[in-house]
Amino acid sequence: MIRLESAHFAYDDGEPFLTGVSLAVGPGEYVVVAGASGSGKTTLARLLAGQTGGDAGSVFRGAITLDGDTVTFDGVPSDPRIDPAAWSERVAYVAQGAWGQLSMMSATVAEEIAFGPANRGVPAADLRRLVDDVAAALGLKDLLHRDPRRLSGGQLQRTVIAAAVVQRPRLLILDEPFQGLDEEAARDVVAALEELRAHGTGVVVCEPLLPPTDPPGARVLALADGHAVFEGPLAEARRAGLGRYGLGIAGDPPRLGRGAGPAPVDPSAPELVMVEGLGFRHTQDAGASGDAAVLSGVDLSVRAGEIVAVRGANGSGKSTLLQHLNGLYRADTGRVTVDGVPVLGQPTGMLATAAGYLFQDTDQQLFERTVLREVSYGPRAAGLGRDDAVRRAADALDRVGLGALQEAHPYELGFVQRRLVAVASIIATGPAVWALDEPTAGLDEPTRSMLAGLLARHAREGGAVVLATHDAAFADALAHRTVWLEAGRISPRGAATGG
Amino acid sequence: MSSPLTRPSATPERPRRLLILLGGALIAATYLFLVVVQPAEIAGGMGSVASLVSLVGFLGGGALLVAGILPMLSTSSLVVMPLGIALNIAIGQVAGSLGMQIYLDAIGTVLVAVLAGPAAGAATGALSNAIWGLFNPFALPFAAGAALIGLLAGLAAKYGAFRHVYLAPVAGLVVGAIGGLVAAPVAVFMFGAAGTFGTNAIIAVFRSMGDKLLVAATKQGLLSDSLDKIVVFVLVALIVYALPRRAVLQFPFARTHRVLGQRTDVAGMGTKDGTTTGTTTAGAARGNRTGA
Amino acid sequence: MPRRRIYNPLTELLAAALLVVLVLVVNRWEFSLAVLVLVVVPAVLLSGRPRQIGLAIVLVAGPLLVSSLLLHGLFYPEGREVLLDLGVARVTAEGLAFAAGMGLRMGVFTGVLLSTAMTLDIPDLLATMTHRGWNRKLVFIVGSAVGLIPHVSLRARRISRAQQARGLVVGRGPVSRFRALLTVTTPLVIGLLVDASERTRMLEARGFSSSAPRTSYLPDTDSRGQRLARRAMVAAVGLVSVIRLAAAMAA
Repeated sequence: MIRLESAHFAYDDGEPFLTGVSLAVGPGEYVVVAGASGSGKTTLARLLAGQTGGDAGSVFRGAITLDGDTVTFDGVPSDPRIDPAAWSERVAYVAQGAWGQLSMMSATVAEEIAFGPANRGVPAADLRRLVDDVAAALGLKDLLHRDPRRLSGGQLQRTVIAAAVVQRPRLLILDEPFQGLDEEAARDVVAALEELRAHGTGVVVCEPLLPPTDPPGARVLALADGHAVFEGPLAEARRAGLGRYGLGIAGDPPRLGRGAGPAPVDPSAPELVMVEGLGFRHTQDAGASGDAAVLSGVDLSVRAGEIVAVRGANGSGKSTLLQHLNGLYRADTGRVTVDGVPVLGQPTGMLATAAGYLFQDTDQQLFERTVLREVSYGPRAAGLGRDDAVRRAADALDRVGLGALQEAHPYELGFVQRRLVAVASIIATGPAVWALDEPTAGLDEPTRSMLAGLLARHAREGGAVVLATHDAAFADALAHRTVWLEAGRISPRGAATGG
Repeated sequence: MSSPLTRPSATPERPRRLLILLGGALIAATYLFLVVVQPAEIAGGMGSVASLVSLVGFLGGGALLVAGILPMLSTSSLVVMPLGIALNIAIGQVAGSLGMQIYLDAIGTVLVAVLAGPAAGAATGALSNAIWGLFNPFALPFAAGAALIGLLAGLAAKYGAFRHVYLAPVAGLVVGAIGGLVAAPVAVFMFGAAGTFGTNAIIAVFRSMGDKLLVAATKQGLLSDSLDKIVVFVLVALIVYALPRRAVLQFPFARTHRVLGQRTDVAGMGTKDGTTTGTTTAGAARGNRTGA
Repeated sequence: MPRRRIYNPLTELLAAALLVVLVLVVNRWEFSLAVLVLVVVPAVLLSGRPRQIGLAIVLVAGPLLVSSLLLHGLFYPEGREVLLDLGVARVTAEGLAFAAGMGLRMGVFTGVLLSTAMTLDIPDLLATMTHRGWNRKLVFIVGSAVGLIPHVSLRARRISRAQQARGLVVGRGPVSRFRALLTVTTPLVIGLLVDASERTRMLEARGFSSSAPRTSYLPDTDSRGQRLARRAMVAAVGLVSVIRLAAAMAA
């Protein structure tokens, strides 16, 4: 159905990669393109989607054959240009980050799904039929009248997929569609993909980790540093020792070196986090995340050297609890004390030296134009001189392995590196308490393991870590204990139910 | 190659020059009419002719301009325009919440003008005020003035005003002064120069010295609009300097006219150094995130 | 709940705009007052959300009316009939009359447009524009901008919170505030541009450049009668304006 043969691909005058990579996908097939950050999987997905980058200064040599039509590229300006409208009728592409895929002009999910066919002049009666069909297939029937800008992550992802496949393409390509979704939302998306496969649509999914469950007949193309390192059935891929290429399996525990794990907590160590009888109710402030939880009667104590995982379903109040630790929220009732400082009326910025916060959406945190300036912002805001701040920033960057990228622009880094920049900026500022919201979401195996090492080291050096996470394996490997939240209350549920 | 999947190299539609010329002429004629023919009227009455002319002339001119410009816009320009409009309106609110004393309601317009060129800037300005009119009807009659700001900002960018940070305030001063000149008659003939307490205090000072309302409002416009645009231009310059190189280069206008001068080139060298020392990570940058 | 819609939004918007033009053309305080009392007030009361709309009108027009009254009431050098001499400032009858006239006009202007806009069904308006064959680029810009505004301010607030978590404290001086604004705006713009470049590709892939007439998922709420009515309204107001203008020029 589609066959991609890449001789090589290069951005601007950068080094060529995807050298000699080829991939063929047939009807109803499920192909996982797996690779760590920087392996070239997004570029591969874009090529399949017909985005050869000729107008953006990239060079592609190779050929793409779609249903018997072969388009050949020689890496010269006279290369053919793919007509995106014609291509997308047969090959649908869902890029990373759902917001960029919304037209923003549709007030309902139904209109958003109908956007493509409406542009092509499909009559209104046919539009309704097309929308109803695809909504039935993807389980969106009940959402058709909702505002697409106010959906949860999984609903939004399915809406974007529906909008891409409403023209019933032969092939669907998705770039990390499960990033940031909790298990239930991910299951809904998987079910939607299976439904499309059953009707003959080939599916290509890019993933940083190998999926733990086995979509029937799934095939894996593993990439590392822009080269194909494995191709074959998923079950074989999981036994093929792809770990040496930085390719892990989702759900595996992080790999910690000998002695790099968490040390036992000294019961006489000082309490760095004290939360007593915390009650909180969101006001009208829409600046809060979609997590509209309330908290009531929450007690939490974290000692120096301790790592505590906070778990619970989406909307149970995990983020809300965490954001009390650095003063983004202020308790309605009860008390919060962090590193000996009572969180009262002081500006949030003043608490940054006591508690460092890693947001789920890292990009909201970054604002400087080089990585070094970004990381030295925290120490400078804490009152350090320029030279000291830069030195601490450089040390922190070395610790997260980004020492060579000091002068890069944060937004020209990949998602995984941007997360590390945010972690480095916490390290450089040096707060005793780290509050991390879903720190492992979307990370590849090497980075996830490195993060585990960093957290363990911070605890061994006398810091405290509170992390909200869905990543059970990560929490089990690292946390001294787990606190479960349920509808804004600490629930007595033990580790047995969570695993 | 004549595959159904490929297309010939893109030929953007030509602008409707006649519409643009007509729109520009209508705006200019309206302005001349207000300033030259009718300056005395305001003293006698409220000037129904003048206010009608300013409403119809400026709005109609703005509409003609937009109609002429739209067909020539590429998809990438088209996509940033709503963003500029939303920024104009939303930053006004952020500025308010941070307690800024100036409006800053043209940041989006100037940003679009710098990235996508004078035509897109002009259309953004005009449509921005038209849409803003849904929330605040007092913005509506200033649509032509906002279009002019976008047009001039785009021209300033084309001729290098954003290549150095010290040139931006100069361009802002000039554009702001022209914008103030154009906005004054609208304010006077539509609303009797009503504005915020701050701007009206300035007008009051000139009025107490015996100036006619149009003259006083023009002087006030020259003062506050220049200040506002100086701040806006510097702010936009600093924002675009902080943008990743790739984000700027996706716009053909910014690329061909080297709007940011050597900044983009120099930044490129920096990234390349990063690439050679850490192929994996730099490749990641390209591979994992929206590229161009 | 918003009121039940009787007319198509395009018809309502046009009627409001023409009413404003008419107020300017007639230019008599009696007419302005009549429009205010007979059109704006009932429209607000029947809108189904009179409190919000009333509040919005007061918030938008109020400060302008007060500052206008102060400006013209105290400083009106053309005024002859001095009511109160305060040295620098003089309260004149002409100034007060001017402020009152302008104030009435601004009140009508705000009332008519805001009560229309705040009950406007934007998706319906966009659908009508599409059904009437308006330029799809214009429809996209308007629809997308209106959809983006709440998203942009939400994102700005989130960024500002995240930066406070990084240690940003906004001081009181203008320089500190300028820096704070810059720090919030830069990542805001970067994030929006990243989305925009993805959206550009999405539009291309969804056939936005197609030359076939665009269709709409929403039904057409417009009717032939309303189309005729719109043309008739424009013609009538145009005619009245020309006659009034000619008379004014001749005088």
